[in-house]
Amino acid sequence: MTLRVLLVEDDRELCRTLKDAMTAEGYEVFTAASLSESFALLTGLGARPTAGGAPVDLVLLDLGLPDGDGEQLLAALRQKHTVPLIVISARESDGQKVRLLDAGADDYLVKPFSIRELLARMRVGLRHRGTSVSPAVTRYSVGALAIDLGTHEVTLAGEPVHLTPTEFNLLARLVRSAGQVVTHRQLLMDVWGAEFTEHTHYLRLYMAQLRGKLEDNPADPQLLMNEPGVGYRIVEPQG
Amino acid sequence: MIPLPGIDASADAWPEHARQAWRRVREAAMSGTVAPMKDDDAFPPRRLRKWPWAWACVVWGVAWLLMLGLDRHIGLAQAAITLVLASALAAIWLPLLSSLATTTLAVLAFDWFIVPPKHAFAVELSEDVLLMAEILVLSWVVTALLARGRVLATRARRSASHADQMRRLGDALRESEDPLQRGEALGRALADLLQARPRLLLLRNETPQPLDDTAATTLGEPDADDLVGLWHCVRLCRQFGPGTAHEQELPALYLPLRGTEDEAFGAAMIAVNPNEAPGADVLVQAQALCDQMGQLLHRARTQRQADSAHEHAQGQAVRNALLAAISHDYRTPLAAIMGAASSLRDQGGKLAPAQRERLAESIVAETRQLSRLTDNTLQLVRLDAPGVKLNLDWESPDELAGAAIDRARRHDPERRLKVWAEPDLPLVRCDAVLFSQMLENLIDNALKYSDPPAPVELTVRRHGEHIVFAVRDSGPGIEPAWREKIFDVFQRGNWRSGSRNSAAQRGAGVGLAVCRSIALAHGGELRLRQRSHGGSSFECWLREEEAPRVDEGDPPAPGAPA
Repeated sequence: MTLRVLLVEDDRELCRTLKDAMTAEGYEVFTAASLSESFALLTGLGARPTAGGAPVDLVLLDLGLPDGDGEQLLAALRQKHTVPLIVISARESDGQKVRLLDAGADDYLVKPFSIRELLARMRVGLRHRGTSVSPAVTRYSVGALAIDLGTHEVTLAGEPVHLTPTEFNLLARLVRSAGQVVTHRQLLMDVWGAEFTEHTHYLRLYMAQLRGKLEDNPADPQLLMNEPGVGYRIVEPQG
Repeated sequence: MIPLPGIDASADAWPEHARQAWRRVREAAMSGTVAPMKDDDAFPPRRLRKWPWAWACVVWGVAWLLMLGLDRHIGLAQAAITLVLASALAAIWLPLLSSLATTTLAVLAFDWFIVPPKHAFAVELSEDVLLMAEILVLSWVVTALLARGRVLATRARRSASHADQMRRLGDALRESEDPLQRGEALGRALADLLQARPRLLLLRNETPQPLDDTAATTLGEPDADDLVGLWHCVRLCRQFGPGTAHEQELPALYLPLRGTEDEAFGAAMIAVNPNEAPGADVLVQAQALCDQMGQLLHRARTQRQADSAHEHAQGQAVRNALLAAISHDYRTPLAAIMGAASSLRDQGGKLAPAQRERLAESIVAETRQLSRLTDNTLQLVRLDAPGVKLNLDWESPDELAGAAIDRARRHDPERRLKVWAEPDLPLVRCDAVLFSQMLENLIDNALKYSDPPAPVELTVRRHGEHIVFAVRDSGPGIEPAWREKIFDVFQRGNWRSGSRNSAAQRGAGVGLAVCRSIALAHGGELRLRQRSHGGSSFECWLREEEAPRVDEGDPPAPGAPA
């Protein structure tokens, strides 16, 4: 069954290019140029079993729509479904981008982006479908590193790595969203608790400790990537 | 104006300087520029200033007691001297006219009581007539001299106090920047001088419409009528009201704040009883105070105009440079994109797959260039705007460096990019997005101007109280003449000596200018250093700040997140 994508983008040229590119990859693409149009489309399309009852399997949402804020669409979608949503933003709308990520958007792309980047993010988003219902990722491995979330085991080239509970929780949170950016706020909230959401310096310290234990050159990370001003991302698992 | 009685400046007995002084006082009094003053007011020592008539009576009383009591024991000459002495002493307390009159009366009484035959105005001896005439003239001269002294002293006192007032107002005006405070200073000075609270109108705009109250600041709460008068005064740029040459029947004195001969920058109004018009010297002083304020407002306006003209010219220059640079920097990648894309469209079928691939690559690379340029231009405009707010947070220097290198590597996988960070660097307080943009620009710049396979490296180290991010290349370096200029907005030129890289011909554009703006916005500095083994090092110096402590004892949230 082909996967359905809703593309909300008000620039007609970009919209057509993206639609063609995605169609070429085998997606069924519906486009909307405004919020109202996308609401109408979502209501009109029937529920899909592949998307857990949602009308589409993935949403690409451009910020700065003519008739309102993308947050409304996200809120409406999140009430019922966990369908992956990727935010497309220009660099000026950084603040809104982070707000949407905090509100439950899965990832973001900054314009201009290449089709290759877009398709890669879409693949990651689709792989994570329904993560909050049943953890899809319990084992993670990339290069010499292997992580088992179930047994709390972390090994580097076969050797066990000792992590403090906080370090492990932080790593686990990133692994659950592997390949996707997790905002500072989400990390602080999930690992330290709601009252720590402003304590970014905690995050810096523990990320540095994790890098020290897991990376060859902590200043040139290959695993725990920093997205300045947004959050952190652990690279996609291999195999 | 009180006429100055019976003393002629031509009196030969007076010394030259006294005559001149007297003439000046007289002329000034006649022309009305300096006080006719109530100068005859007695001018005795401060302690004896009260009850002037009482003191004069005491003096005359004692003198007459002496003269009549000792009549038998003293001669006529001694009595005459006593009379002259009493007249002189009484003149200290009495105004000129009263003093002259009492002296005349005293001489007549002297004739009646003392000069033989007594109790008659007739005089026995002709030398006694001469004596009495001499007594009279001598007493008058003494009285007049004392009166003249008073005039001079009063004048000196007033001009000293006026000069002091001018100086104090000048100081007060200089000290405050706020026009309202300045207005209050002027108001206080005028109130001191005229004993009434003035109302002021201070123009704010360059050329206001009359009665446009938004164009002026008022002080002392003038009512509608007062405002009409004040605006009228501004328009005429002339004083009117009691004591002036115009409209003397008005209940208030209106003074323009003159900045130039014929332009007023406001006006002052002081309620004055038309019957008690202020003296001419007071008026002159009040006008001088007002003019001081007017000149200040005039200077301020001239300064504002000069500043705005300068700003405008500068803005124009920047805008021109911006437009020239944007049109150049945008056209170059656009031309490349147009060429490649139209070639793909029109000749796609005839091209070998490798050629098509190369064209598509060129479109992607040039688009990235345009995107970077747009980001930089927008950021530069944003940072130049007043009151720009940064999203400051505690960031880890090696993470910032790592992210910048990672991004650069994605765009240019061929090149050798090295990153090194000193261990255990403290956190830095910065706007992560901006700071990354700066690092990416510097790396981009280094890649562009040094030819492959020369590596580009980013290092972060501690240097005294600073954290230094350095982007180093081993390119040909920068001509000395360009080392400062390259940071200026839109400077361009072939500033890399001997580069074979075609990108070098494109100029620095906005890249380095925005880097410097970002460094400055963080309270840091962007420096260029020539490396000893060739190549350049662009360094951002940030002052180290004390990061908040992480409480190690703080228990982490229990268990893994849900």
